[in-house]
Amino acid sequence: MVEVKVGLGTCGISAGGYTVFDELKIEKDKNNIDFELKETGCMGMCYREVLVEINDDNGKWLYAEVDKIKVKKIVEDHLISGKPIEEWLVKMGKSESEDPFFEKQKRIVLRNCGEIDPNSIDEYSAREGYSAIRKVISNGSPEEVIRAITESGLRGRGGGGFPTGLKWKFTREAPGDKKYVICNADEGDPGAFMDRSVLEGDPHSVIEGMMIAAYAIGAEYGYIYVRAEYPKAIERLRTALGQADEKGYIGNGIFGSKINFNVKIKEGAGAFVCGEETALIASIEGKRGIPRVRPPFPAVKGLWGKPTNINNVETLANIPWIINNGPEAFASMGTEKSKGTKVFALAGKIAKSGLAEVPMGMTINEVVFEIGGGIKDGGKFKAVQMGGPSGGCIPASMGDIKIDYDEITKTGAIMGSGGMVVLDETTCMVDLAKFFLTFTQNESCGKCTFCRIGTKRMLEILEKITLGKGEEKDLDLLEELSYKIKESSLCGLGQTAPNPVLTTLKYYREEYEAHIRDKECPAHSCAALIEYKVIPEKCTGCTLCARNCPVDAIEGSVKEIHWIDPEKCIKCSLCFQACKFDAIEKI
Amino acid sequence: MKEVSITINGRSIKTTDNKTILQVVDENSLDKIPTLCNDDRIEPYGSCFVCVVEVEGVNRLLPSCATKVTDGMVVNTRSEKVLASRKTALELLLSNHYADCIGPCNNNCPANVDAQGYIALIAKGKNEEALKLVKENNPLPLSIGRVCVRDCEVACRRDIIDETVGINYLKRYVADIDMGHMWTPEIKEEKKGRVAIVGGGPSGLSCAYYLRLEGYQITIFDKLPELGGMLRYGIPEYRLPKKILDTEINWITGLGIDVKTGSEMGKDFTADSLLEEGFDVVYLAVGAQGASSMRLEHEDETEGIIKGIDFLRDLQLKDKAELKGVVGIVGGGNTAIDAARTAVRSGADKVIILYRRSEKEMPAHQAEIDAAKEEGIEIKILTLPTKLLREGNKLKGVECIEMELKEAEPGERPKPVPVEGSEFEIKLDYLIGAIGQNVDISFNRSDNEVDLERWGTIIVNDKTMETSRKKVFAGGDAVTGPFTAITSIAHGKRASGAIDKFLEFGVAKGAPEKFYSFKHRFNDVPEHELYHAAKVQKEKMKELDPAYRIKCFDEVELGFNSEQAENEVRRCLECGCSEYYDCELRQYSDEYGINIDDYLGEVRKYKVDYDHPFITLDPNKCINCGKCVRICAEILEVAALGFIKRGFQAVVKPAMEKHLMETNCISCGNCIDVCPTGAISEKYPFKVLGNLPKEDHESICNFCSVGCRINYKVIDKDLFYVSNSTESIINSHNEGYLCSKGKFGHRYLVSDERIKEPSVKRNNVVTNVSWEEALDHSVKEVKRIIRKYGPESVAVFGSPKMSNEELYLLSKFARKGLKTNNIASFSNLFHGIEQDSLDESYGITASTAILDDIENSDVVVLVNSGLSSENLIVEQKIKAAKKKGTDLILINSSEIKLTKFADLWIDSRKGTNTVLLNGLIRELLNTKKYSGNGDGIRSNDLDSLKDIVSEYNREKVTSMTGVSLEKYEKLLEMISDQSKNIIFIYNIDSRLEKSSNDLKAIGNIQAVTGRVFSPGNGIIVLRDYSNSMGVYDMGLSPQYLPGQIKHSEKREIISFGKQWDMDLTGIFKPVDLSKKLAMGDIKAAFIFGENPFVETENLKLLSSFEFLVVNQMFIDQTSREANVILPASSSIEQDGSYTNSDTRIQKSKKIFEPENGIENWKLIAGLASGFGSSGFDFDSIDDVFNEIKEVNRLYNDAEDNVCWNSGREISDPGISLYETIVDTIEQKKHSMLYSEEYFNTKIRYNLKRF
Repeated sequence: MVEVKVGLGTCGISAGGYTVFDELKIEKDKNNIDFELKETGCMGMCYREVLVEINDDNGKWLYAEVDKIKVKKIVEDHLISGKPIEEWLVKMGKSESEDPFFEKQKRIVLRNCGEIDPNSIDEYSAREGYSAIRKVISNGSPEEVIRAITESGLRGRGGGGFPTGLKWKFTREAPGDKKYVICNADEGDPGAFMDRSVLEGDPHSVIEGMMIAAYAIGAEYGYIYVRAEYPKAIERLRTALGQADEKGYIGNGIFGSKINFNVKIKEGAGAFVCGEETALIASIEGKRGIPRVRPPFPAVKGLWGKPTNINNVETLANIPWIINNGPEAFASMGTEKSKGTKVFALAGKIAKSGLAEVPMGMTINEVVFEIGGGIKDGGKFKAVQMGGPSGGCIPASMGDIKIDYDEITKTGAIMGSGGMVVLDETTCMVDLAKFFLTFTQNESCGKCTFCRIGTKRMLEILEKITLGKGEEKDLDLLEELSYKIKESSLCGLGQTAPNPVLTTLKYYREEYEAHIRDKECPAHSCAALIEYKVIPEKCTGCTLCARNCPVDAIEGSVKEIHWIDPEKCIKCSLCFQACKFDAIEKI
Repeated sequence: MKEVSITINGRSIKTTDNKTILQVVDENSLDKIPTLCNDDRIEPYGSCFVCVVEVEGVNRLLPSCATKVTDGMVVNTRSEKVLASRKTALELLLSNHYADCIGPCNNNCPANVDAQGYIALIAKGKNEEALKLVKENNPLPLSIGRVCVRDCEVACRRDIIDETVGINYLKRYVADIDMGHMWTPEIKEEKKGRVAIVGGGPSGLSCAYYLRLEGYQITIFDKLPELGGMLRYGIPEYRLPKKILDTEINWITGLGIDVKTGSEMGKDFTADSLLEEGFDVVYLAVGAQGASSMRLEHEDETEGIIKGIDFLRDLQLKDKAELKGVVGIVGGGNTAIDAARTAVRSGADKVIILYRRSEKEMPAHQAEIDAAKEEGIEIKILTLPTKLLREGNKLKGVECIEMELKEAEPGERPKPVPVEGSEFEIKLDYLIGAIGQNVDISFNRSDNEVDLERWGTIIVNDKTMETSRKKVFAGGDAVTGPFTAITSIAHGKRASGAIDKFLEFGVAKGAPEKFYSFKHRFNDVPEHELYHAAKVQKEKMKELDPAYRIKCFDEVELGFNSEQAENEVRRCLECGCSEYYDCELRQYSDEYGINIDDYLGEVRKYKVDYDHPFITLDPNKCINCGKCVRICAEILEVAALGFIKRGFQAVVKPAMEKHLMETNCISCGNCIDVCPTGAISEKYPFKVLGNLPKEDHESICNFCSVGCRINYKVIDKDLFYVSNSTESIINSHNEGYLCSKGKFGHRYLVSDERIKEPSVKRNNVVTNVSWEEALDHSVKEVKRIIRKYGPESVAVFGSPKMSNEELYLLSKFARKGLKTNNIASFSNLFHGIEQDSLDESYGITASTAILDDIENSDVVVLVNSGLSSENLIVEQKIKAAKKKGTDLILINSSEIKLTKFADLWIDSRKGTNTVLLNGLIRELLNTKKYSGNGDGIRSNDLDSLKDIVSEYNREKVTSMTGVSLEKYEKLLEMISDQSKNIIFIYNIDSRLEKSSNDLKAIGNIQAVTGRVFSPGNGIIVLRDYSNSMGVYDMGLSPQYLPGQIKHSEKREIISFGKQWDMDLTGIFKPVDLSKKLAMGDIKAAFIFGENPFVETENLKLLSSFEFLVVNQMFIDQTSREANVILPASSSIEQDGSYTNSDTRIQKSKKIFEPENGIENWKLIAGLASGFGSSGFDFDSIDDVFNEIKEVNRLYNDAEDNVCWNSGREISDPGISLYETIVDTIEQKKHSMLYSEEYFNTKIRYNLKRF
């Protein structure tokens, strides 16, 4: 039967996915057409949502940017008359050529996302779902499981890159009557949504991953710590857990064995620091989410003082695949020390923003240009910011660097959890550093002196610089503070908070200097250092700019050249964006 | 735990891996690592990062408080990186510390006189102490109190609300009081070192004074006939009467300072000649006495032109100058006003001040300007004289030009500019130029030259006041140019310190730099921050009437009276931090030489929470160390405080951001003591004393029987508070924790109601009398009653808060001195129903376990004890034990605070506990283990016990007690587990409902199960008061002799009597004292420390008392009824030992001299001697203690901090037999102690008010 799937991840929903879905249903009933209408998760091409996939005898047809009006035509032309509408398609039936966005990807973690209905355990099962856990329970000792994971070379996808097998081993070996596995779904980096998409698109794979981890370390209890800002993910997780429970996959005596595994969802209130393991544990325990001194590590003394294994969503989603396909298959992908794939959330000034899973070892340039389609609006590639606020920027000149934990660390950035913000020439690097530091400063738990006050003072210096009030000594002070904060902070948040500043200082010191010495922002981005001016030759006197100005700073009548009063101008950039003739410039 | 070897700063240390680096460093005294967030009593936290160290192989720095040592670890605690990081950590913390370390007044005073401090002392009536504090930095308060420019007041924050505090008036107030007798400072031992001081003005006098106090030989040289410098020759009489100046100068020179007046440097001697003469150091304080020129043509040769400073000086040197006609004064400073007002007084018909800016810009003090106007002086502003109008040589007037002001640069005064064509003339007879002074450099002859600035001032090192010449120092106006007297004084003091160092070590050294935090470094303090202070009008100093004063040179300002001073001190806002001396952040800041300039930015600002009656929460000072939060949550399990917000805004606040009083805060004050800064501070019952040092005096809490160790932080008598922050207290049995009684209750010791003098009431008239008369009268009257009614008509009562020594002496006094066995403590006589409950089974009634055993027990059974209010520290110990796995069983009918922590709550009906316990005994005896007669229990007793409990089967117990069968069985299961250690805790004095014989039944349970004295087992008998136990141990009961000797112990009584050199058999016999009282058989009584008449029903006893002697610290109902009042000394006014509820004997030391003039133990001994009794001639209280050790069988081995009943062997623990009564003991209880009454009305009442 013909299948019609609507991408209903958060990306799809916010683009109007449910309207499209409902419209399809109405059309289906009205026209009495026989096709199966289904929900699915994020297909990755978030920049072109709403995506609708028609799966018929002629293959997969993927329509992009579907809305209510387009639905009618797609139903009429494609589903009733059998005539696909080519201009709306990004994937065409059986044709070989695929959008390079998909072509270059290798989907392991995202193997089911956008393919199956996340609300259906059967669809998951139909694609080898729950076969991995069955396999290990029936003929694999926990030690063997740990060995397999170790051999696969899987490293923690939350950002740290710690070998997963080793982590499991520590927890398994730690003495304790009770043990816990925790799925860390407290995805907090601005612009990152890998975990959300996996939870929304394929919740069972995460649950199965947890079950395998629990089996391996000897835990009977699991927690999924997921941020409350992910309601859809929570909803689908609950549905999935309900279904798994109904089927006897979780609970007591799973799959008829003597093994018990119970999972609870703990909704986090959205503190970034709760992604840190010890803070996360404190939060589950009902305490303020504050990291504590390590050691003891959670593997020895974790939740309620018991040995606890914490893995990130993406890490766990890899597990069933590794068991099903063997560690060798996994280890065959990637570089020497970074195996498998990595999911990236492409954001920023990139043509195709969305979710992409690429094999380790691919270069940044490949990701940006081949998968991401290069820079938006024909801009010039300047840098990527990897690892969110804990990461750093890698300049375009280093675009041939491979996606590899250690290679990336060498640049001063980190692999991180998969946020990849692409920057073009209009991005001011001081402003970028300020943006990320503002985030970490707001999200610092406030415990340690350096992180709480040190980052604040750094931020104030950055602010001063972007306002054109920077002094020569500020850069030294920034660096000095950066190193001190990194050296003297308890948790990863503080230890990495200065990274965006340090990497931008390392690669773009001259931009800082321009702000300080010349009181200029080379990217024409810092409001205090720029002025908006009308280019008389280009101005047509259309008055659009004046009408958009919120402070009436633009003078001029119809068909006359306009003029921006610099005294009144608040540099909101609305005129610049409104002008259709590029007649307004920033200087 | 593993043995490890580590290297710290190159030293190899062997230790164990359960320790942190910080602990190892401390234990081995390898370094003093600073830390702000660590407290060994709670888990390491690692937030301040001030304690970081470098560990080889780790690229980060590690917090030493939270890093455990590992084998082979190589640690450096002092590397450059470490020190730099610590410094930055402190700088960051202080860049977000919106607070004042010291008052802005203190800081802004050039001499740093602690104004807040002396104001606080005045507020407490300690005027002499206030004066001494002033004189620590300013030896001339009589003069300066009259003429100071008051930089303190310029900085005063009170200005934001209404007007500045009259700080200088207050200084003058204490100085004026002192003037009558002049306090004499102590001079240190004479030292070698002669110092010549050139110039006897304020700077020279100041330097001379401080150096003299150090013991040096000082000679002051001055070219003028008298000392005083500008104070004498520059300030007119009506502002500073010279008689007063003389008094002050004579007081200084009277300390043994040589004075050579009429001796001018550069003429009569040089610095070289002085040094040759044998002076070791010369201090140049020659001033700036040259007058500046007005730069008018013919200025120097015109008759009628006078230089302001000469005008004022000549007035002192010669007779009164006679002026007539119109006098013009040029200038706007204090000298101009002084000259103008002097001119008025010298006969001028009209005086006009010509000033080129407007009045606002005049440098003179506003009060002076106002006074001048009141005296009819005209001030012509915006006027500049440009030309002299002369008739021949004689002045006829001046031509002036009008000025206008041009806007100035920030921080500068507006610039006056002439208005073109605005010239005008003023007719004048005299023109006095008072536009400035300069240094007359004639002192500095080329052969003894010190380097001078271009404009003539002496160049000095401003830390040491050293000049370019070795051994020559300088200060005052000669260095600054004409400036203020207080600055000159500051220079003198600063130089004295450096000279002292120079003379001692050969090198002059300035005082170390200190870091002070100030709110105004961040921004101007807005009015709303001072919301807690209401507007109050400033006191005006009385002045002579202008009409009168212009005719004479009498002092215009007349001083403050005491009422004005009282009002004015109340206006002080106490800006400086009360924790100045205890603030660790401050101490480290000085140590690490911090500078926050680079980090000044946004600062967190919060409203200070003043709502709690005893605790101030100032989150502005919080450094997020979290110690309060953790102690409150983890140790006390109250969690009234927590962190709120994230990032830079994260801070400690009461739960849900309420006021502290609206939370579940139990007001124990432990947060105050753990706070490393002043973020949580105690609201003292007195004004905050800024930076006065405090002395630690460790002592014993005077409230309940836990006997916590406390520390009196003493600033001065009546100025103290209780803390628990010393190391030895943290290592004591209360681990430094206190409850609100211990923390705040001792304020009763400074209550205003203190009785200081003995008094006698005759014919209902009370008269204060001498000690001798009071004692004689008491003895005579009581002897009369004994003659009339016999010794058994007299009774002696003592308080359970008196020391063992006092109680012992009372016991001896009654039995040996008065020959009566009527001795007791009212507190027990009326309420102490079960005090002998364990006598039958254990021999004596006392705890068989110590408080520290609680954590070693598996099960704690708490029977009817309201620990939260009665013995909080025991509650805390139970909570701590619970964390280590101890189970808690509560037996009480109603829910208490501990209920939620209990593993089992047995909610037996009121009065049925004995039934419940009987049931338990029955069941225990039915189990195999306890059914026999083994374990040394007397078997016949056991049989009788079986009879008593046999009827209490499960049905009966559950139906009578109302306890569910399920709970009852659970209880049984927990109690009968023989592998468990079990402690029963029982408050014998508790007000909670209980049935009689509970304690006996508990004793039986522990005896039957063999849990009397084995570790982690036994009974802890809690009591209400600090020496409730001592009352029994010292025999303050008709039932006991000291050593708890009972009537049945005939042999013991005889032998005890021998020790007292008497036959006790006829005296120590059973007496029902309550009955005797009720029957009116007691005709005379001595009541020590108790207030039985607080209970009105006890008043009827009075009718039978023909004579009552009361020993009490405070006026109360009982002392009002006394025929003789013998004022008592307090527990901190004499040494003494106290025995707490686990029989721990603790010695407490005297802190102050007794306010009543005599230590109480001496009083009792004296009284006894008055009755002709021997055996009371003790030389010291230690002798009394030694006698107790000798005669009291329980105290033979008594030592400080030893529990006399701990581990005592009982050869035959027995069984108490009793009747089971189902009834609640009547517990209508009123404390008969002033301290408790004070706590209930002044402390607890305030806490409940909200």
